[in-house]
Amino acid sequence: MGNISKNAYGMTLLCPIRQDDAAHSYSNLTRDCLETLPLHDNSPMAKVPNTYLCRLYVLDDVFYQGAPANEEHLKSKYLVFCTNFHGDRDTYLRGMWNAVQEDVKRIWGYCIAFDKVKTAGDFVAYAKQCQVTNSLFFNGSDGGPLDEQLKALYLRQEFTRFAFDNFGKSAVELQQAFREFVAIVQPDNLQTPTWAPGMTQETQQLQYSFHTAARKEEYA
Amino acid sequence: MTVSLELHDIQGNVVKGYGRQHFSFARYILFAIHDERAGRKFIRNILPLITTATPWKTCDNDSGGVPKPEATTNIAFTYHGLKCLGLPESSLHSFPTDFSDGMRARRDILGDHGKSAPENWDPVWNHPDKKVAILVSINGQSTVAIENRYKEIQKILEGVKSGMEQLCGHRGESGAEDLPYQEASAIFNEQGDPTPKEHFGYTDGISNPFFKGTGKNPNLVIGSGKPSRDNPEGWAPIEPGEFLLGYRDESQETPKAPTPPLLAKNGTFMVYRKLHQNVNSFDTYLSNQSTKHPEFNEEEIAAKFAGRWRNGAPITRFPTEEEADNFVKSVKETKKALDNAKDAIELEEAELLYSVLLSQYSAFNYDEDLDGSRCPVGAHIRRCNPRGSLEYGTKAYATPGALTNRRRLLRRGLPYGDSSDRSRDDGNHGIIFMTLGASISRQFEFVQQQWINYGNDFKAANEKDPLLGNHGVDKLGRGNGKMLFQKNKGSDESPYFCSHIPRFVDMHGGEYFFLPSITALHFIGRGTVDGT
Repeated sequence: MGNISKNAYGMTLLCPIRQDDAAHSYSNLTRDCLETLPLHDNSPMAKVPNTYLCRLYVLDDVFYQGAPANEEHLKSKYLVFCTNFHGDRDTYLRGMWNAVQEDVKRIWGYCIAFDKVKTAGDFVAYAKQCQVTNSLFFNGSDGGPLDEQLKALYLRQEFTRFAFDNFGKSAVELQQAFREFVAIVQPDNLQTPTWAPGMTQETQQLQYSFHTAARKEEYA
Repeated sequence: MTVSLELHDIQGNVVKGYGRQHFSFARYILFAIHDERAGRKFIRNILPLITTATPWKTCDNDSGGVPKPEATTNIAFTYHGLKCLGLPESSLHSFPTDFSDGMRARRDILGDHGKSAPENWDPVWNHPDKKVAILVSINGQSTVAIENRYKEIQKILEGVKSGMEQLCGHRGESGAEDLPYQEASAIFNEQGDPTPKEHFGYTDGISNPFFKGTGKNPNLVIGSGKPSRDNPEGWAPIEPGEFLLGYRDESQETPKAPTPPLLAKNGTFMVYRKLHQNVNSFDTYLSNQSTKHPEFNEEEIAAKFAGRWRNGAPITRFPTEEEADNFVKSVKETKKALDNAKDAIELEEAELLYSVLLSQYSAFNYDEDLDGSRCPVGAHIRRCNPRGSLEYGTKAYATPGALTNRRRLLRRGLPYGDSSDRSRDDGNHGIIFMTLGASISRQFEFVQQQWINYGNDFKAANEKDPLLGNHGVDKLGRGNGKMLFQKNKGSDESPYFCSHIPRFVDMHGGEYFFLPSITALHFIGRGTVDGT
């Protein structure tokens, strides 16, 4: 299966954009919409459950590479949506609709037949129509749920800090420090503290040592 | 396939480094060009002094070649310099953008920030209206030879009056800010002999890439060529096009080069960086770390940082200080035996043993040390030349050097200044680092950005090169560099952590240069680059 790697799914949609009319270029309007989307943790896609990464762009046409290639053109311009996520396709699409349907309506607003999409079920059916099978899907993780992966990455980074900070301590001190560390990072709590989806800058509050009594002066 | 390099047309110091041939002193002089015709006249007049790669007649090699000079002279140009010299637009536009951008514009790639930012470089790089156009370098066997050659060049400069200007503004001893040139020299021992040491105490410049056509002893390919599964020795010579324009490179093409082709052939690009060494920070770090965490002593930490003991022995091959010391001792004893050989048989035996011993400085890889328990994966020499270890023992690629053969650096350069006062960082001591290659961005910049200032390729996350990395500071002003010394997988021993590594090396100025062939120098000097 070209779209599935363990529990990760790679979905590619090619959604045809309406032909330009005398007054509007719908591909330009779509591009405008994409270029003004908020970024990183403010992106609407950061609110869509289990999104690892995704990309939206407008495909105008295929390039003619010169003779002896045949010159070919696409029948329309396309909004391309590539997304990698945890879980199955339909659940993901329903989650996306439920989380950010206003954004979805704006982004897809100039696509052919999207005006008929009114419900999560319609969105799933629409996406299936537009889906192409991936040929080289690569996913760099184990495909687990996003919150587990973010927590795991957070824990790994903080544990590296812990290892460097506490190197050379006696077994007793180390155990004490580790207890404090565990109490701060809460390994079993997927909600907090952890990295937020789309986050690109780590805050001080997320560094475990910020919460230790011994390191107060560093953060003063 | 046999490759023959046009040695008479290639500038010296490219094919073989001067440093290893008793040229212990150097002087680097920077010029601005105010008048195109004057610049060209300067080149025409200095051309007879330019040293080529033609082999030298030496006492043990009288089979041809030219007499070994007391001093050598070489010349290189910035992009701005080539513009000042009136190269045609078509040629200028054909140079790669790394070179035409220049080093200052590439600061983000290179990590030249904070104290290393261009605004803090030696004033010679910061003249508002006088940009560096030409670098002339003199290497000499003595300071007298350097001075004599320098005077000859001064005369040539006088001949072009106000059309060219020697730029002042190199920093030097006792706070000097406006010196007319950069001096460099080997560090001398108490007996007054030159040593291969740099200011942190390491033996430097041991391993350089072995490429086709240099005429070097073919045995030296082991450890210095490219790793290969096709050759019984496990190593093969690198294609010369990695280091010289106009020859086949490791992608089996002729490297991208400026036009017309004769402007490029036998030329190469050169990176010049004045790297200041914070000797006090370095000594203090080693001492504090080994006091606090005595599992490793100062020498051992220094060795883990570099991947070599300070005496030069590679740590992956000689994992203990004792083994390393014994090795270097036997090298010295064999050299003594070689020098004192009484007859031909003794000489031959000593020569044989000596060459076997010398090869051990470079003839190694990390196949038996994939975990990095001897040489850490983040050690300086393992980063800058991974020797096939990025395959991680998997045989994943057609050749073990797939990720490294196009990132090799031909290193030249010498230390500068005096570090006998080790109580402070701000003296005048460091290295004039120079590296040569066919592509600045593919080779030097990649290594600097991905392998020195980042650790992902070594599975070392965002760890930087401990010695050269541009470590930042935390809120308390401590260095924020870190490094892990691995233990064997499955071992009960805990790994060793170095935290708060400060920046040991600061950048004090530099530029990207084009080092043309003799043919190209004639073209540039005559203003006939555009052959149409």
